[in-house]
Amino acid sequence: MSTQLPPDGAPWDVVVIGGGNAGLVAAITAREKASRVLLLERAPAELRGGNTRHTRNVRCVHDSGDQYTPGAYPYDELWQDLCAVGDGPADEELASFTVRESASVPVWMTVHGIRWQPPLTGTLHLGRTNRFFLGGGKALVNSYHRTAAAAGVTVWYDRTAEGLEFTGNRCTAVLVAGGDSGDSGELGRIAARAVVCASGGFEANIDWLRRYWGSAADNFLIRGPATNDGRMLAALYALGAAPAGQERGFHSVAIDARSPRFDGGIATRLDCIPFSIVVNSRGERFYDEGEELWPKRYAIWGRNIAGQPGQIAYSIWDAKVNHLFLPPMYGPARAGTVTGVAAELGLDQDAIAATVATYNKAVVAGSFDPSRLDGCRTDGLTPPKSNWAQPIDTPPFYGIAMRPGITFTYLGVRVTADGRVRTVEGGAFRNVFAAGEIMSGNILSSGYLGGFGLTIGTVWGRTAGAAAAREAVEP
Amino acid sequence: MPFAVPFAEADRQLTICNACRYCEGYCAVFPALEWQADLTAGDITHLADLCHDCRDCYTACMYAPPHEFALNLPAALSAVRHHTYDEYLPRLPWPAGRRGAMLAAALAAVLLLAVLGVIVGGAGAPAGSPYRVIAYPALLVAFGLPAAWSVIVMAWSAARYWRATNGPGWGGLASPAALTRALRQAATLRNLRGGGADCSYPGDEPSGARRRLHHLIAWGFVACAASTVAAAISQDFAGDPPPYPAASAPVLFGVIGGAGLVIGCAGLLVLRRTAASGDTPAREDPTLARRGYALLAALLVLAVSGLLTLVVRNTAAFGPVLYVHLVAVAACFAIAPYTKFMHVIYRFLALVRHNSELRPR
Repeated sequence: MSTQLPPDGAPWDVVVIGGGNAGLVAAITAREKASRVLLLERAPAELRGGNTRHTRNVRCVHDSGDQYTPGAYPYDELWQDLCAVGDGPADEELASFTVRESASVPVWMTVHGIRWQPPLTGTLHLGRTNRFFLGGGKALVNSYHRTAAAAGVTVWYDRTAEGLEFTGNRCTAVLVAGGDSGDSGELGRIAARAVVCASGGFEANIDWLRRYWGSAADNFLIRGPATNDGRMLAALYALGAAPAGQERGFHSVAIDARSPRFDGGIATRLDCIPFSIVVNSRGERFYDEGEELWPKRYAIWGRNIAGQPGQIAYSIWDAKVNHLFLPPMYGPARAGTVTGVAAELGLDQDAIAATVATYNKAVVAGSFDPSRLDGCRTDGLTPPKSNWAQPIDTPPFYGIAMRPGITFTYLGVRVTADGRVRTVEGGAFRNVFAAGEIMSGNILSSGYLGGFGLTIGTVWGRTAGAAAAREAVEP
Repeated sequence: MPFAVPFAEADRQLTICNACRYCEGYCAVFPALEWQADLTAGDITHLADLCHDCRDCYTACMYAPPHEFALNLPAALSAVRHHTYDEYLPRLPWPAGRRGAMLAAALAAVLLLAVLGVIVGGAGAPAGSPYRVIAYPALLVAFGLPAAWSVIVMAWSAARYWRATNGPGWGGLASPAALTRALRQAATLRNLRGGGADCSYPGDEPSGARRRLHHLIAWGFVACAASTVAAAISQDFAGDPPPYPAASAPVLFGVIGGAGLVIGCAGLLVLRRTAASGDTPAREDPTLARRGYALLAALLVLAVSGLLTLVVRNTAAFGPVLYVHLVAVAACFAIAPYTKFMHVIYRFLALVRHNSELRPR
């Protein structure tokens, strides 16, 4: 076993596992108190940042508007938004702490090198509540790496944390594959005074998903890199860490069925749903497409589709609403008739024709307005379409096949108020902390709120990073 | 490479960009892309010239290689620029490629200067006067002919470009507001600011070096033009023939402009080399990259030889040095429309179209 130490030979004060937003924030924060901080990134430099590469905004409390978020978003409103998705917050105390702490996140990010841009066009309704960082998630990762490097954080790429070494209740080292140990199969031993696990969920581990989803998991597409296999999470469970979050909890959205199995990111996402009807492989509608504003509902559609036969669904719309949403990267199927679109998508043409005719007949005339809940609805239809319902009658017609795109899983480790990993015995590890997706199950249950993953990562990266540094410097 | 290739690849990449939009805050390309329902070859050309090559979209791109989407928009758009720069050159009546036309134009200009220099000569002009090498009327002819040729070819190319990217009609060129905004954005290199993030050039670290050095070149060029105009005014209106004293407008403008060109070109050449050796994969079309070197080298020769004439104007070297400078100027006049110099015109036209399309967010 090779031992990998800082140049002075002493153990690292803080080793951060994972180079996404939470890990970078934890490392930068830890470095304020601790002098020897190491960040382990599993990917090579050009793919660094994990799921954070695919993010674009952060949802934070702000009591007044500014040039990037043109209106107030007070604590109570974010809290209510959080309570309204899925089964609401998992642990009210930790969730409320996250929302409260979010108020200081934008300034913290700015101070640490993040630049902003106005809300992106085509992202309806997100402008007031969410701040968009310039260039998106990879630019954010690049900026944080610059800040970390300037602060003296050491970063090692191509290192996979495989486990932790313990003496009693205290972690003494991180065991890693990659780097100097190369392909020898031998693990490197990185001595550490404190450890922050910010290694994400297990969404890219299809076998693990299959435990809770059965063979449906084979039809899930994973929006982030294939390296998010939950290796560290499994190691923590084996060491006695207490679980948090629902086994089937995840953030998932509707994405193009033609997307790559892994790492397709934002460009494969489909925003056509509220302006369309969605049918399953039998040509039947199954959920209210116009239930709520899209940022509050986009995250239920991955789950909706996961529940349909074959984990596939089809969105169908017409020329009236084309260009009201981001254009799909592979392009939609297009035909002069609805049955033509059905044929292109391989659907039963009679079933689609009947579903569209029934829907069209049920549409109540109203004043269509994509920018708000416009009350354009159906009457006597099951399930109803509550907003943005217009007859699908203007050629050309469009359609696209969709699958669940899993962003990240919620099942993780339980933490204390300062981010320490709790154990099944009721206590907590002395010097092991968690931040980001790996502990998101403490806050999220089943639903998701756009931009809140970054909020969790930043708030808990700061919390865990600071606590780990304190633990290392004055144990 | 067949003509369709750079367009097909740019279209593939831009379609992914339009489904992502993370780069919207960097420059004008991304908002402009989002205004297009379906991209035509003309639209892609427009976007390619709207791109000022800051490369921020590359470093910010999670789909850049080794990702399987393999996005490299700076390279894809510069490949389109390479092909369209050549495409919009006027067809010559004799079979000659771009290089043939360029060589012929340069040779003709140099020969004209030589012949006129030999026939007319410069007898009678005072020491330190450029007219000791070639008399004023002959110099006017020797520069005027290639310059006129250049202007005709550039206008021809620009007209073809405008028609391809805008369709028939004057479009934004008839809008004073669009012209004013385009001029301001060109003068400030707004699209090299990266929305406040500066350029990712050379390499991945943000830097304002490229924009600043480009300002030195562009404004140095303007100062050199001002020096020539000031000299013309002094000679033809104030009746004060050259040589001019060190504290005169022609000399001051010339020195400041020349210095700007030397520093700017030398600096950008160094940045170019750094980018070429460090950027894997390359973020620029290789042919356009060579033309970038060529333009900088040519401007450097002009500036250095121009400054040298001032330094040696009271020595025996003045004649030969001035002759080299004049030959360089005449040749550059003649070949400008075949070089990367055209980026000035195409980028400006792209900015004009962009500003005539601007709509409230």
